[in-house]
Amino acid sequence: MGIKGLTKLLADNAPKCMKEQKFESYFNRKIAIDASMSIYQFLIVVGRTGTEMLTNEAGEVTSYVFDGPPPDLKKQELAKRYAKRADATEDLTEAIEKGDKDSIEKFSKRTVKVTKQHNDDCKKLLGLMGVPVVEAPSEAEAQCAALCISGKVYAVASEDMDSLTFGAPKFLRHLMDPSSKKIPVMEFETAKVLEELSLTMDQFIDLCILSGCDYCESIKGIGGLTALKLIRQHGSIENILENINKERYQIPEDWPYQEARRLFKEPLVHPGNEEPELKWSSPDEEGLVNFLVKENGFNIDRVTKAIEKIKAAKSKSSQGRLEAFFKPTVTNSVPIKRKETVDSTSKNTSNKKQKAGGKKK
Amino acid sequence: MLELRLVQGSLLKKVIESIKDLVTDANFDCSATGFSLQAMDSSHVALVALLLRAEGFEHYRCDRNISMGMNLTNMSKMLKCSGNDDIITIKADDGSDTVTFMFESPNQDKIADFEMKLMDIDSEHLGIPEAEYHAIVRMPSAEFARICKDLSSIGDTVVISVTKEGVKFSTRGDIGAANIVCRQNTTVDKPEEATVIEMNEPVNLTFALRYMNSFTKATPLSNTVTLSLSSELPVVVEYKIAEMGYIRFYLAPKIEEDENE
Repeated sequence: MGIKGLTKLLADNAPKCMKEQKFESYFNRKIAIDASMSIYQFLIVVGRTGTEMLTNEAGEVTSYVFDGPPPDLKKQELAKRYAKRADATEDLTEAIEKGDKDSIEKFSKRTVKVTKQHNDDCKKLLGLMGVPVVEAPSEAEAQCAALCISGKVYAVASEDMDSLTFGAPKFLRHLMDPSSKKIPVMEFETAKVLEELSLTMDQFIDLCILSGCDYCESIKGIGGLTALKLIRQHGSIENILENINKERYQIPEDWPYQEARRLFKEPLVHPGNEEPELKWSSPDEEGLVNFLVKENGFNIDRVTKAIEKIKAAKSKSSQGRLEAFFKPTVTNSVPIKRKETVDSTSKNTSNKKQKAGGKKK
Repeated sequence: MLELRLVQGSLLKKVIESIKDLVTDANFDCSATGFSLQAMDSSHVALVALLLRAEGFEHYRCDRNISMGMNLTNMSKMLKCSGNDDIITIKADDGSDTVTFMFESPNQDKIADFEMKLMDIDSEHLGIPEAEYHAIVRMPSAEFARICKDLSSIGDTVVISVTKEGVKFSTRGDIGAANIVCRQNTTVDKPEEATVIEMNEPVNLTFALRYMNSFTKATPLSNTVTLSLSSELPVVVEYKIAEMGYIRFYLAPKIEEDENE
């Protein structure tokens, strides 16, 4: 589930690395989407929004990246999640017995599980829609990050914060949230994260491991903030282990942090020159109808409408962006308003007054 | 310290009205030469560039290059409180987090101060190179506004093609198609009613009408509009602001379908 507490840690300690963006501003950009999260969302909301979620009204170009087999280290974590799911199933049965509607809804959401079948169905659907699909050799986030590093896509969209740990230069959260929720997209820039925290990428990876990642346990009693302090003080996990009070902090026996670090630094991805080409094509209408209506019992009207939407989005995507013609420059104007040094976690998009004070920029 | 006194205050009102639907927040840049703005719409398809030269102001004081982030909706709300004949003065102190708009009635019997909070905007500034355009069309601005409005009731995009014969605006939609041709016409009584076409090469470009319609909100600023077109470059729709500057809209063209395949 990503890195424990990283969002809050960044919001407190590196506010400038995150920016709220409007969905439209990613117009015509290529984005790699970590499919594992989306599938869960689709399964949970299925029936209400169904296939429409997959079309992109702003005419954005997206490609989905699927998880491959998990690395060994993650299996432990996965086992835990299975256990959780089993618990939820028990709770669900209980709730049904009691007839508590809210709980039924809540627990049934938790028992949702993506099967191989679901994965294959989604891939097939996306393929028919003309959206390129990439199957990651292992972790999807890592593959997304690799695509972003090599410049094949503009940014990575995921809900997993470990996309940053994998070094994705630009990382978007809440991109795929339904627009009805009106949650702005949160854009993170890895370079800014490092600059603001004044850490190197290696140190940042260590920080994530200490905060708690998917691959190994963390040290009891060390959370994000302590981890940041320790990394700043000692520079690496090795040094921390030498200097830390062993009585106070229980270091897990047989702690595979080096393995975890290696997974973040050299994740199993398609090597640069073998990266699949991302190609968008027109939707296969007949195929979609066959697949959704005949095989999966969707309402034909809804499917046709969705196809129309995809086509409309396609025609929109022919609109060029100005950046393709004009290049950014720097202005020499200085804001008359004094900038704040801390506190503003995000760009002040509302017209709320920010107190003047602090250092002049 | 900044103090700009604009006798024809209604100009500023018209400028803000013409861009506030395209851009919500923008940085106004002030330098010794003038008061300017550059901003893009949220999908980075259109850009507006405004310049009001220092000479156009009755009094212009700007000690150093500064920028002020403003919310245009709020700015419009405040400017709407001024009378059409009012003199508007824009004032801001160094390090202040507000800007003051002062409205003076023509006979000086009423003075109103409106103070607006400034905001931090980190916007990208694009460098726009001077370019030789393949075709430049100057025509009455009301005529252009009418064409855009009419075409948008039929289709979503407009194809603008300039040939020796004239400039053709065409669209196609679910209900049918429309073509409007404007011929070169310089034999009119008033020069602002003329349609003048300078063409080096024929051009044929497609644009989204939604943006074009938004640009025509600047029609009250000028009797004429100039369209500068080049193949595979954004179009420039320019409205001159009497004696003191211009407002220019840039719009990225639609790219032909085969790009996607």
